[in-house]
This record gives sequence, C-alpha cells and structure tokens, in this order.
Amino acid sequence: MGKLIVVACGAGINTSTMAEDSIKERVAQEGFSDVEVKRILMADIDGFLGRTDLIMVVSMMKIFRTFNVPVFQGMPFLIGSKQEKDELLDKIVEVIKKV
Amino acid sequence: MGFLSTAVGWFLGLGSSLIVMIVLILLGLVFRVGWQKAVRGGITTGVGLAGLFLVVNVIIGALQPAVAEMATRFGLAKTIVDVNWADAGIAWGWPGVAGLIVSILVVNILMLVLRLTKTLWTDVWSYWHGSALAGFVWALTGGNVFLGILAGVLYLVAGSLMSDMTAKKYQEFNDMPGIGVPCGTTVQASLFAMPVVWLLDRIPGLKDWDASPEGIKNRFGLVGEPGVLGFILGVIIGVFAYGTGTGDLGITKILGLGMNVAVMMMILPRMVSIIAEGIVPITMSIVQYMRERFKGREIYVAVDCAVLLGHPAVMASSVILFPLLVLVAAILPGVQMLPIASLAVVPFWAGAVVPYTKGNVVKTVIVLLLYAIPFMYFSTLTVDAHTEAFKMMGQYSDQIGQGLKLGSWDMGGDILGFFIQKLFGLFS
Repeated sequence: MGKLIVVACGAGINTSTMAEDSIKERVAQEGFSDVEVKRILMADIDGFLGRTDLIMVVSMMKIFRTFNVPVFQGMPFLIGSKQEKDELLDKIVEVIKKV
Repeated sequence: MGFLSTAVGWFLGLGSSLIVMIVLILLGLVFRVGWQKAVRGGITTGVGLAGLFLVVNVIIGALQPAVAEMATRFGLAKTIVDVNWADAGIAWGWPGVAGLIVSILVVNILMLVLRLTKTLWTDVWSYWHGSALAGFVWALTGGNVFLGILAGVLYLVAGSLMSDMTAKKYQEFNDMPGIGVPCGTTVQASLFAMPVVWLLDRIPGLKDWDASPEGIKNRFGLVGEPGVLGFILGVIIGVFAYGTGTGDLGITKILGLGMNVAVMMMILPRMVSIIAEGIVPITMSIVQYMRERFKGREIYVAVDCAVLLGHPAVMASSVILFPLLVLVAAILPGVQMLPIASLAVVPFWAGAVVPYTKGNVVKTVIVLLLYAIPFMYFSTLTVDAHTEAFKMMGQYSDQIGQGLKLGSWDMGGDILGFFIQKLFGLFS
C-alpha cells in the first residue's frame, strides 16, 4: 500500500505548493516510490483522516486540534534557512521510513 | 525599429497563456532554477491561466442572462458579474508582469538597505494583488505599461509598510515568529480592525458577547464548503430570475444555475492553484537568495495570507458573514454587484481580524460587515477599468462588446487600490 502525506493550508494555493515542492524533491532523492504528497485545504482534511494510507500531516497554519498521525508545522518551508528546512525534511523522512 | 515593433506586436498577439509561459521560462533561467523546472513551471502556469478563462466563460454564460433577467423583472440593477479571483488572469497575464516583479524586488531591497521597512517581500505569488491593480491602471491609461508598473509598485510598497505594522500581532497570535503578511485587502482589514475593535470594547454588553466557533462550525459548517455555498446562491438568484417561468416553472433553469455557480466556486480556486503551481517553484530560489542576503537582521519574511486561517473563529465568522454580506449588497442602493465568487476572500479578511478580536466571533463579524461596505461601492465604481483590462487582453471581447461588466471585491473593491486608480486616472 502507498504512503500518503497531506500538506494542508488555508487556500490550497500558494503556501502548500512551497512545502509540496520541497517534500517531493526530497522524496525523489531518497528514492521512495510509494510515497504520494498531496496538497489539500485544511477544511477538507476530515475526508483524509479516515484513510489507512495516510501517514503524516504537514500543516502550513497553526493547528488547534489533534490528529491520529504525526503532524509537522511546515513554516520552515516558507521562511526557514536551508538548514532548518533540511532538518524538517530529515524528520519527515524518518517517519516515512518507520511506517 | 520597424522590426522591433513587429516583434513586440507579434509577442503581445500570442495571448496571455503563451506570454506568461515565455516570461516565466525566461525568469526561471535568469534566477537559475534549471531549464527543466523553468519549462515545467512556464507551461503549468500557462495552462492554469487558460483554464481560469475557460471557467469564467462558463460562469459568464450562466450568470449574465440571470442577472439581466432579474434587472428586467424587478428593476434590480445588480448587473455586474462577480469573477473575483479571475483577476489572477489579469495579474499574471498583463504585458507588464515581468517588469513589475523585477521592479518590486529592486525597490524592496533598496527599502531594506535604507531601513525603511522590515518586510522582506519574498512571497512572489502575493505580488498578484499589486499586479492586478497594475493591469487595471494599464487599461485605465489606454495601455501605458510604465504607469501600470508604477501603480503596482506603489501599492506593494504600501503593503510592506502595512505589514510592518501588523507583523508582531500576527506572529504572536499564530505562533509563527519571523513572518509578515503584506497581502492586499487582508492586511488592510487588520488596520481597519484596530480602531473598530477599540470602539467595540467600550460598548457595555457587546464587550463580552461571544459565540462558540465550534458550535457554529458544527451547525453551519456545510455552508462554508465552496460548492455548497455556490449551489445555494445560484438557486436563490435563479428563483428571482426564472422563478415563474413557463413549463416547469423554471426549475430546470434554477437548478442549472445552482450547479454552474457551484462549478465556479470549486473550480476557480483550483485553476488559480494551478497558476501558482507553476510560479511558486520558479520563485523559490528568490526566497533563498534574499534570505541569505539579509541574515542577522530583524526582518519579517513575507508569507501568503493563507497562514492566518488556522483559528476556528475564522471559518465560524465567515459562514455567518456569507448570507449577511449578500443581503447587504442586495439592499444597498448604488451597489451593482451581488457578491458570489468574491465571498471566497472573506475567510482571509477574517484571518487578519481575529488576532485583534482575540478570536471573538461576534466582534469579527461586526468588523467585517463594516469593512465590506466600501468594497461593495468601489467594486462598482472601478468596473469599467476592470472590464477594459480583460478586453485589452483579448478575453470575452464579444460579450463585453454586448455590455458585459466584470467586477470583484478582492481587487476591484480594494480600498487602497481604488485611490491609486483615482490618482493614475488623472493621467488618462
């Protein structure tokens, strides 16, 4: 079964694209072939939480609720230095490998 | 010279999708993102732009006859068709867009060096508020690209100053150190909220009145879904336009309009998202480059207003505001556009206001009801330049020739943008 990462933001237009781009690039570098990175609206997230292939949520906004999968704050993708970005990507890769 | 003007004429005649594709590929090569990324980004954005115009064509075909019918039946002069984010088409497709991007980058760096602002405007996507205004001014001045760019830069400079004034509050409330949000009508909503909230806090009774955002979301959350909201609005307009039609009493037409408006509400943002999908990767390298240049200084890195939407009071306030705003726009004399697509901007305004109301739903709703009124009038007053900009880009020329008018709140109704349009109108 594939592994699904959703990147959620307020409009699903700009900020989630920045995160998606960085994560996809790293996923390709690591050679994971079964990982899908999907941009969504935070408002639509409930439709994804029930999916068994969901392994992680990356949120581009402050989160006011809890989820049953690991959650990462994606702000470094917008404003972080290269180092901060790489550290976050390392954590994401770790989760992908563990599942 | 003859060759040059022929070449320029040929280039502009390619149409906005091809122009933006070529411009983005060139920008990508200049910013050294690699030719693969540049080509992919350029074509993706061109496709998004073409898709956007397709969707708008569908909605014009459905809405224009309906609002015309309402006008003849009830004398309701609400004949402007609301296309809101279709303005992304003007923003990324008008001939001066590349010049504007380069100009604001240079001006922003200068302002940072001279310490006139703390906002590092790296979020190239958000330039579109200034770029759409630039497109209006371009149309307003009979095709003057230079004045268009000047107006756009002026608007974006004002945006960075407003971002300086609001950044600390946004950072604190949303737990995002280091950010700033210079987006057009969003940051203006914060400035508007400051005195209004101060006043509301001095009215006994109102001061502590609040409503539970979770409760509202559970009860009315469905209305916050763009497709559902669009269907309901379409059906309501349909009832007024075709309510007593012959045969099946117009039910086919009413339901058809509901579906078409739902299509617009769901697909329009997706098309804008495809445009962004092409532009964002190309401009990411600018973010890295500019960040490294200003290391060690206190700066606010510009991000999109979408990051402000996290608090539950945002959606709760919005679903209450949707019907209220349509009603107010319907009642107010002189307002010629019923907001439909433009309602999509309301959550962004709410995101800018909740840090000041501390997440209070009642106060957020009051602030935004007042804030929206100038947008209702300004979107009517600026409609000619707005429509002309689409026409000059070769879009919907036939329908515009037959009297179609296109408006929006986010760009057309923009308070600061309105005054800049007035200023540059003096040159026309």
